[in-house]
Amino acid sequence: MTDILRISVPLTAWLVAFSAVYGLHGLVCSDRWVAAGLDLAVGRAAMAAAWIVAIALQVALLLALRSPRFASPSAFMRGVSLTLSVTALVATLWTLMPVVTTSACL
Amino acid sequence: MNALRRHRALERIWGPRPGWRGKLTTVNNNDIGLMFLFLAVTFFVIGGILAMLIRAQLATPRSVFMGPDIYNQVFTMHGVIMMFLFAIPLFEGLTVYLLPKMLGTRDLAFPRLSAFGFWCYAFGGSLLIFALLAGIAPDSGWFMYPPLSSTLGSPGINPDFWLLGITFVEISAISASVEIVVTVLLYRAPGMSLDKLPIFAWYMLIVAVMILTGFPPLILGSILLELERAFGMPFFQVDAGGDSLLWQHLFWLFGHPEVYIIFLPAAGVISTVLPVMARTTLLGYGWIVAAAISLGVLSFGIWVHHMYATGIPHMGLAFFSAASTLVAVPTGVQIFAWIGTLWKGRPEMHMPMLWILSFFATFVMGGLTGVMVAVVPFDWQSHDTYFVVAHLHYVLVGGFVFPMLAGLYYWLPHFTGRKRFFKLGKTAFWLVFFGFHGTFLLLHWAGLLGMRRRIDHIENGSGWELINLLASISGFVMAIGFALVLIDVVVNAVVAVRGRRNPWHAGTLEWAMPAPSASYNIASIPEVRSRNPLYDDPELPVRIARGEGYLGDPSSGLREILTVEIASGRPSSLVIFPTNTALPIVMAFVTGGLFVGMLIKAYWLVPLSILGVTALAVWWAWSLGSRRDQEPQPVGHGLVLPLASEAKRPPGWWGSLFLLIANGVFFGSLLFGYAFLWTVAPNWPPPAWLKPDLTGPLLALGGATLSWRGIRVADRGLRRNGGPWLGLLLSLAGSVALASAAVTIFMRTTHDAHAYDATLWVIAGYVLFHATIVGLMTVFLALRAAAGYLSARRIGEARVVRLWTDYAVVTALLGLGAAWLPGVLT
Repeated sequence: MTDILRISVPLTAWLVAFSAVYGLHGLVCSDRWVAAGLDLAVGRAAMAAAWIVAIALQVALLLALRSPRFASPSAFMRGVSLTLSVTALVATLWTLMPVVTTSACL
Repeated sequence: MNALRRHRALERIWGPRPGWRGKLTTVNNNDIGLMFLFLAVTFFVIGGILAMLIRAQLATPRSVFMGPDIYNQVFTMHGVIMMFLFAIPLFEGLTVYLLPKMLGTRDLAFPRLSAFGFWCYAFGGSLLIFALLAGIAPDSGWFMYPPLSSTLGSPGINPDFWLLGITFVEISAISASVEIVVTVLLYRAPGMSLDKLPIFAWYMLIVAVMILTGFPPLILGSILLELERAFGMPFFQVDAGGDSLLWQHLFWLFGHPEVYIIFLPAAGVISTVLPVMARTTLLGYGWIVAAAISLGVLSFGIWVHHMYATGIPHMGLAFFSAASTLVAVPTGVQIFAWIGTLWKGRPEMHMPMLWILSFFATFVMGGLTGVMVAVVPFDWQSHDTYFVVAHLHYVLVGGFVFPMLAGLYYWLPHFTGRKRFFKLGKTAFWLVFFGFHGTFLLLHWAGLLGMRRRIDHIENGSGWELINLLASISGFVMAIGFALVLIDVVVNAVVAVRGRRNPWHAGTLEWAMPAPSASYNIASIPEVRSRNPLYDDPELPVRIARGEGYLGDPSSGLREILTVEIASGRPSSLVIFPTNTALPIVMAFVTGGLFVGMLIKAYWLVPLSILGVTALAVWWAWSLGSRRDQEPQPVGHGLVLPLASEAKRPPGWWGSLFLLIANGVFFGSLLFGYAFLWTVAPNWPPPAWLKPDLTGPLLALGGATLSWRGIRVADRGLRRNGGPWLGLLLSLAGSVALASAAVTIFMRTTHDAHAYDATLWVIAGYVLFHATIVGLMTVFLALRAAAGYLSARRIGEARVVRLWTDYAVVTALLGLGAAWLPGVLT
């Protein structure tokens, strides 16, 4: 089961982060955000912070999966888990990049 | 014992009862798999006939072949049948039939669940076909957008057939997925570690997890829409706080992964068949595994890809456009690995190879148009046009039907035991190939010229007339081709000469048995040392038949099977499977009462059906287990293994775990829906938030504590050979308290006042439902303990109940907390 976790956690973490940032984006662009006395700049900063946290989490997972303590004893599973961890890191960088490159609520 | 006597003895143990009753009571994976395949192909024929009706209607301008009412039902049912009643059940059937053979085992993890799933599929599908024949079929398009599908747009019974019939069918998909996951993880030949899994098993493991996480949002959406239609709970009605976009989110949370749920089994077939056709081994096995997993997870981040035209802000669009383009990368990795495999080998042009080459040509084109519609500006232009219709047919026919036909021709000798002799298949192939491209390549242009999907006629002077005429002619050519495929298969299955074992010289274990395979699949379970055991040891089939593997001695008269450790593949326990029974078909029939009761608004049938299902579930579970501890049993080669029923985590625990993962996704989708409405729906906040008094939260916290603690006290009592009674009593009291906490919400809100109140009712209903289930499980556990089925060693059932209890406690606290929080904060 541990090997199954090794291969499933990084991309699942991407999916959670992706969904959370999308949810945060929905909140930032809603009337509730304004009603709470917050403006768009705070919203963008919150999304950018979430993106950075997600990237940091993926880097930490990648390092953990390379470390002797958490790496799989099987060479095959180690290779697959590291590939998937790199994929998740790239996915986090690429799919959440719009938080700093596009207009937020237009 | 010689091979023939072993065969006869095993056949007596594993085979179905004789006569027609055998088909109704069988739980054997061969029977169930073939029944799935036969029914799926039948639905394919029906869906194909509907497609031809569509093409007949659109062949000429202002056609009067069908009126709009009938046309709407025809195109809706074409999509519904092909997606829900053909594609998914077809690969489920193939998997149910093949997977145990490939893994070197004798059946799937939960044979009775396979049968139950099949009968749910058969009954649910029949409901939809009945609606079609009666002229009351769903008519709002296969994705059923409200308000068109709500009572505002469709006051009749038509959408109810979709909502209830499809949900009934989805029980089958969830059942099959649970057992595919548990089978791949636990039921394999010894030595088959994860790096030695047949590639098809990897794909099906991924697909099964995707079904468990992809289908629950749709099931939730169907329940919400049906509750709106039946009881006026306004989840999708804007004036009462709902939002029709919520349906689109829930539908596409399922719908986009669904594309990959359909594609990945086909990719599994290609990865299995292609190396054999190329006389080599698969290039980049590890890369393909990683690519398939990536594709499976990334596909869950693309659902808004289908909603670009709904007014979502640019940043939201950019998230999903980026994710959509990213998905092309793992798809490309697989394509290049397959091309590399061809390059590495010496390809032979047999029928499976023809279909695989047609897959390459067609799917790559569909994938490229997929990247086009992933780009927002292009999608805005082509949205809801025939360009999208053409694209999705390229992906689904090219990416699923063609590879499945490759698989059909590849495994036909296995199914029939005959050598393909009549050559009609090649003619059929060319008719299908040219017919398909003649139809859908042209329809890309119709879409680019502005032809909208789902229109019931075309006008003179639109510029689409010639394209549609040619597409219709080509469509009929394709239909003739598919009919010839069927004739080819039937003729070869019935009258061709007997063939030899393993005609393709493949290396996987399904070819290590006589064809067609016996009901027990494998006479003795071999030790595996590579991904292609038959390449390592060409004499392996003979040694298996001689009983030289594990469990080669059938003298116990029981359905014996091994489990292994997940990662290493070391043997871990012996499982005794249940025998044939009518319980699955009866349970599916009684479950159907629930859906039919809702459908015809005979609501008295619903509680009766629930009572019936509960009674049958108790009967089902009671028949398992043992009243005494047993010593480890010999399984061959000097190895003795404990019984799985004495494991702390028996297979049922694993099945429960994955079922609860699906359940958790359902619950998460419910909370997402609540948050979505709160954030986005126009008529929020509601007129009044529910402000809880102390009763509800105290009941919830007290119930959670009692349940959580009680089941652990019971567990400890069992482990110390004491009684579990005090713990079970505490746990039961906790369930009652949790249920009561949920009831306080019903008492203080009105279900149809506002989408907020309706959502609270669903959350409370969810908590009540799970508290009731856990309460029933606790009572069941007490009865089992009293009857002597539990002990310090036989503790697995208690662990299953503990898992469910923990889940119920966590979701109750989260759900009720979410329900009460806004009222507390304001």
